[in-house]
Amino acid sequence: MKKRVLALLLAVTMVLGLASCGSAKTKKVDTSEHVKITYMFTGSKPEGAAMDRFQEMNKKLNEILTAKCNAELEFYWIGWTDYLSVYNMNIAAMDGTVDLIGTASDWLDAWPNAKNGGFLILTEDMLKTYAPKTWASVSADHWELCKYDGDIYLMPEDNYAQWTNHGFIYRFDWATKAGLTNGVHSWEDMTKYFEYVTANKKALGINVAWDSDGTQNTQMASGWVVSHSKFVPIDGICSSALWGGTKDNLYKIITPAYTDTQMMVEYAKMMKKWDEMGVWKTDVLNNTTSTNRDDYRVGLVAADQHHTQTWTDLCSKTPSNTIYNDPNAASGFFYFGEETGNVVALSITHGAMAVSAASKHPERALMVYDLLRNDPDCYRLINYGIEGISYSLDSAGYRVTPASYNPDTDNVGGATSWWWGRNDDLELKDATRNWTAIEAMYKEYDKIKIDYPYGQFVPNVDSIEGKIKNCNEVFGDYMKKISYGKYSGTAEQIVAEMQAALKQAGIEDVTAELQKQFDKLYKK
Amino acid sequence: MFKSTANRLEMPGKSKLGFFAKVKKYRTLLCMCLPSTLFFLFFSYLPLPGIWVAFVKYNYQKGIFGSKFVGLQNFEFMMQSGKLWTLTRNTILYNLAFIILGNLFAVFMAILLNEISSKLFKKVSQTMMFLPYFISHVLIGVLVFNFLNYDTGFVNTVLSNLGLERWQPYADPYCWPAILIFIYLWQQSGYNSVVYFAAIMGIDGEIIEASRVDGANAFQKIRYIILPSLRPTIVILLLFALGGIVKGNFGLFYNIVGTNSLLYETTDIIETFVYRASVTDFNFSTASAVGFYQSLIGFVIVMTVNFIVKKIEPDYSLF
Repeated sequence: MKKRVLALLLAVTMVLGLASCGSAKTKKVDTSEHVKITYMFTGSKPEGAAMDRFQEMNKKLNEILTAKCNAELEFYWIGWTDYLSVYNMNIAAMDGTVDLIGTASDWLDAWPNAKNGGFLILTEDMLKTYAPKTWASVSADHWELCKYDGDIYLMPEDNYAQWTNHGFIYRFDWATKAGLTNGVHSWEDMTKYFEYVTANKKALGINVAWDSDGTQNTQMASGWVVSHSKFVPIDGICSSALWGGTKDNLYKIITPAYTDTQMMVEYAKMMKKWDEMGVWKTDVLNNTTSTNRDDYRVGLVAADQHHTQTWTDLCSKTPSNTIYNDPNAASGFFYFGEETGNVVALSITHGAMAVSAASKHPERALMVYDLLRNDPDCYRLINYGIEGISYSLDSAGYRVTPASYNPDTDNVGGATSWWWGRNDDLELKDATRNWTAIEAMYKEYDKIKIDYPYGQFVPNVDSIEGKIKNCNEVFGDYMKKISYGKYSGTAEQIVAEMQAALKQAGIEDVTAELQKQFDKLYKK
Repeated sequence: MFKSTANRLEMPGKSKLGFFAKVKKYRTLLCMCLPSTLFFLFFSYLPLPGIWVAFVKYNYQKGIFGSKFVGLQNFEFMMQSGKLWTLTRNTILYNLAFIILGNLFAVFMAILLNEISSKLFKKVSQTMMFLPYFISHVLIGVLVFNFLNYDTGFVNTVLSNLGLERWQPYADPYCWPAILIFIYLWQQSGYNSVVYFAAIMGIDGEIIEASRVDGANAFQKIRYIILPSLRPTIVILLLFALGGIVKGNFGLFYNIVGTNSLLYETTDIIETFVYRASVTDFNFSTASAVGFYQSLIGFVIVMTVNFIVKKIEPDYSLF
């Protein structure tokens, strides 16, 4: 009896599993039915008055979308708490409630989700028919970078200038006082800067030099490595940049954090020094409630560790950045890799749009995306909000905030997180940004940068997945100790210990397997 | 206790009544156990075939049974991590401490509560003990950090004001077992003691009356009447708890220890490790493999302990 019941249950579950298969067919452009397209993305959902403002924009946008393709857009926010797991879970649900999915190959799991069947394959026909402007504006080379196994899954944000290479944001005016009249241009300069800042906390009115929350450990390690070598990390294997090539030999995979003992020992020593100087709080590894960036804006800390894009905000005299009420205040940016001129331009899939494989209206989703990305009215609405309320234009064509503007409620562009289809042809430059400094920095980057060389490399990790996970985990564990100088014993000991643990976790097998796949792809 | 009652009810039916007649006769009892039966049916038995996901390379479009079979590959990462032993050891030892100390403490509190004669004081103290149960782990994590952190924590402020050396618990893995067990007891004992308190309330008043007539003092009453009466409840709760001994208390550990790798040696449990290793790649299959491994060990432990209990005292065993 028991067995029969169990067999029955099993059969029922299997049938249910099989029944959920279906296929989306491509049809002629037929927009007679009014549909709702849901756009899922990471961002903070506006509340209260900000939500009202947002809805005013959404209403206007839907009027245009209804007129042009008989669809309306619904926004679906994935909040920042555990965003990656929540995001992936929503994709895996496959219940047809989501159509457009904002994604990224480096910081959101675009490729794993494509491989797992979460994203719809976008055929050339579909793109040409339903997203013709996007299709035409992205070059053939760039479409190649959006393919996995020969099929296109992503529509890249490839016409938007931005830099997300990491580094330290610091107070240029304080660096000058520390004797660095030319600003910070190396890790050694940074040490000198922190020495001055930590010794003069009271005079400068800061609580702590850098109120790190303890999570920047692998980022800093990778920064140290690019500053001291020609290493070019491969994105999307795991969260720490363990594997990569070198500028001289792009297709030979190396793991400097594992093999270059001398470099890592020096790193461990310098970070120990920073820790002893009191750059961060003693219990930095449990300091989860830190609000460092906001503290920087008001002058309570002296540094932040993030990317160029963040610096472009922090170095500008915006209403939130009250440090610039002092006319002498200025923010510099020491970018990782500055010493060796090692800067890699952003991968074009750092922001991209995908269509859910469970979407009931993939064609209309593409049409909506095409409008949001290429139609000036839609573009301005989703990126900046309603003109006259959220932004207005000055005589030079720069974007300014109207007199009635309230940053807490009217920043509609901040609520829509449209990071998957920005378009420099339609961008309105923000007048508050410090464009002199920003453009000088961009020019410097343009002189030394190389393009991200591994866009087409989507490794097949089935056989080494466990080892990658373990290496990433081991590296993260040790970097928390090393990057914050929280190790006992000597720098040599802790680095040797880390190397042994990485070896045990199988780092060499992973390198060998990745090299094999590299050779197949690049040595045809 | 419950079991023997059920047996007695069933005995006469076994020989005479057929299945449907029995259903009719015990319809009230059956109705009463229907909700929990349905609960377990839908949430524990129906999803059972889903264990298969631990043995495939899961593809969202193909579904659990359509995905490619990969054998034990999903279990490999746990084995290869070289931490399986430490993790399992930490998980089991913490849970043992939680179960044993937790139950002892709860029994102790229930008895104390029972001895309080002032009704108001009894209610107030019971409520006070119960309150921590409603504080979320996230909040407890913040509280503990504000108590113990080196620069501005309460404990260290007091220590340094007294001219004593500061204490740095967030860099010392060896003090955490005690801290975590203390927090667990503080949070859970009030709640756990309710069951025991109810069991004490259920003891036949006549027995206690009789002991008083025989001249037993309060301690003798506890030793010879209350504790023996609580024995079946203790054994059954222990058996239930043992099934989950390999499943760690993720909320407690993750919110209090966080991702501070200095403390992993003594605080890393299976759940926190799997979370850290998987949070970046969201893999149903590895997560299920770990869950399956935990259930399997839990199953073996429950069967073994139940077997031992059955040998010693058949009435107390679960099945």
